[in-house]
Amino acid sequence: MRRIFAVLVLVVGAVSFAWAKTTVEFWHAMSGSRLRALEKIVADFNASHPDVEVRPVFTGTYEETLTKFIAAYRAGTAPHIVQVYEVGTQTMIDSGAILPVYQIPEILGETWDWGQYVRPILLYYSVDGNLWSLPFNSSTSMLYYNKDHFRQAGLDPNRPPTTWDEVEEYGRKLIEAGVVKNVISFGWPDWQFEQQLAIHNYLYADNENGRSGLATRVMWPDEFSVKVFETWTRLAQEGILIYAGVEYDPNAAFTSGAISMLLQSTSSLDGIMKTAKFEVGTSFLPRFPGEPRGNSVVGGGSLWVRKGLSQTELRAVWEFFKYLGQPDVDIYWHKNTGYFPATNAALKQLMDERWFAQSPNHLTAFLQILSGRQDSAAALGVRLGPFVEIRDYIRTAMEKAFSGALSPAAALAEAAEKANAALLEYRLALGK
Amino acid sequence: MESKFPGYRLLPYFLVFPSIAVILVFLVVPFVQAVIQSFYQTSPFGGVSTFVGIRQYRLLFSAPDYARSFLATWYFALLVILGGLALSLFLAVLVTRKVRGLAFYQVAFIWTYALSPAVAGIIWALLFDPAVGLGTYVIQRLTGFSMNFTIQGSSALLLVAGASIWNMLGYNVCFYIAGLQNVPRELEEAARVDGAGPWRTFWRITFPMLSPTTAFLVFVNTIYAFFQVFGLIDIMTKGGPGGATEILVYKLYRDAFIRVRYNYASAQSVVLFLIVAATALFQLWISTRRAVYLR
Repeated sequence: MRRIFAVLVLVVGAVSFAWAKTTVEFWHAMSGSRLRALEKIVADFNASHPDVEVRPVFTGTYEETLTKFIAAYRAGTAPHIVQVYEVGTQTMIDSGAILPVYQIPEILGETWDWGQYVRPILLYYSVDGNLWSLPFNSSTSMLYYNKDHFRQAGLDPNRPPTTWDEVEEYGRKLIEAGVVKNVISFGWPDWQFEQQLAIHNYLYADNENGRSGLATRVMWPDEFSVKVFETWTRLAQEGILIYAGVEYDPNAAFTSGAISMLLQSTSSLDGIMKTAKFEVGTSFLPRFPGEPRGNSVVGGGSLWVRKGLSQTELRAVWEFFKYLGQPDVDIYWHKNTGYFPATNAALKQLMDERWFAQSPNHLTAFLQILSGRQDSAAALGVRLGPFVEIRDYIRTAMEKAFSGALSPAAALAEAAEKANAALLEYRLALGK
Repeated sequence: MESKFPGYRLLPYFLVFPSIAVILVFLVVPFVQAVIQSFYQTSPFGGVSTFVGIRQYRLLFSAPDYARSFLATWYFALLVILGGLALSLFLAVLVTRKVRGLAFYQVAFIWTYALSPAVAGIIWALLFDPAVGLGTYVIQRLTGFSMNFTIQGSSALLLVAGASIWNMLGYNVCFYIAGLQNVPRELEEAARVDGAGPWRTFWRITFPMLSPTTAFLVFVNTIYAFFQVFGLIDIMTKGGPGGATEILVYKLYRDAFIRVRYNYASAQSVVLFLIVAATALFQLWISTRRAVYLR
């Protein structure tokens, strides 16, 4: 009898223990090798936190994830945490569906030092100095180049182009030497345009790039943006620049040796290094000489917390966020994806391990973003409600300019008109 | 209705109820909602909603993008329907001749239909990749034209149309083979006895006899070109470059689910519904009047 009673106690204990487990649903857009890295991190977290279970759900691309989150929010079935790409930042801020991350420690009666996150990343996701979403997978754009191709064309493999003039000069040499037919391509072409404005400290939209208030119009076409477009169009017509599709489409051309240079997100670094059968070099983005300096812009995604969680759920989410910031976890994420480590502590540990000496390509983008300006809105990046739509228009403008359908200035002007209409629609929809 | 089911006054209604319910829940209610939504302006997360009358429709009809999308849709549909049906009819005639390995060819042509649009799209996009595609290389070698469907609008439209025709080929060929086998031999033989050549026999006898099949295929291919090519476009071009392959249904999807402008997209869905309904009625009218049915 006593034994049966003991078993009963154990069973009841186990059941109530299982009941006490808090489930945190986490929607994300990480696929491929990034998915494996993420699932490993979540599994380790769950193993070390018996009272919490984080359930990662892959919900498709960034676009699909945001759409699904919106639909789920309207239906009242939204997850606790959602990963949103940088383009969706303003939409999330205006949504009214979000608990800003900076408020969580206060609610839980804790204090938290936000200074431990890498500064440019922290600034990108902050509104009036307060962090709204947890930096998770941050990246920026950099130049990848094929050192073997440079050698074959008689170029110094340790002197990648610094300016667009040099891109053109090297491009001609690479083509004349018969190494390649086309030289350079862009991943995320629309984002590369944003990068050019930012690294030269030019604003993309008014109201401080939409950071001090909702943007009402884009700043282009101005003298500088037209120069960017004209230069790129000239390169495209010479065959030096080839437009090879969006997002990660051009990577195949680079890794197969069809082109020699690529502007692409740092998050492609690991994929490119594993696929390429040549020596990969990386450097800062090419510049226009004589123009002011800004900084390259943060891209990638961050984690947002849904409004209206219970205290226990919030506690569980917060434990998970703190876990993600631990140096070992952060380092694992960085090494397996190429995304930036988000905290200063992780950065120091990576340096102490001599990681950057072993893999200098992992340092390039970091040096670029840490050595640039961090005190101007133009260098911090753009926040727009209808950002996806405006990027569409910029891509269209590029396609039209490069194929010669419109002049660079006319293509930009057409895109600007549509972008401004989209900004107006967004403000109307919010009733502002 | 009681006259047809004596003694069971309510049974017929009970039997059709499931179908009616499904149609109501999944088609009628969402449609009504779309119509209502098209008169509002709502914030992405649904917090703020204001009645704006016909503003979305005014925006729609004054947007050059929509006019371009409209034209692209028709251009694309004509290519896919006319090109696709002509090619399938030609192939079907070939494979119903007495040739060695007939069964193999018949199966080989139907094969393309078994591939999902996603797979077909990836194959075609890789084949014509501007930097590493085999097709691009061959075209450049043969004609000197460097094709880049990521920036050339007409290349992209032709390429997607080509892929769509290819993907649907099996279906069309299948129906035409069946149709050709149903053409009575006596009629063709009689024509031949009267001295008509193969060309004349085909156009005067076989083709008119195939008109019910053709009418059916035109209808199915219209639906295909308007809606089902979505997958191919999404994989290959995402509506680009410069909106050249952004057909109406794809634009609707992008405006609703990527750009998060639900109301604007609702207005588009209402307009698209009217266009397709009108087209379908027109085709039905033509085919019932013009097609020759054997009785």
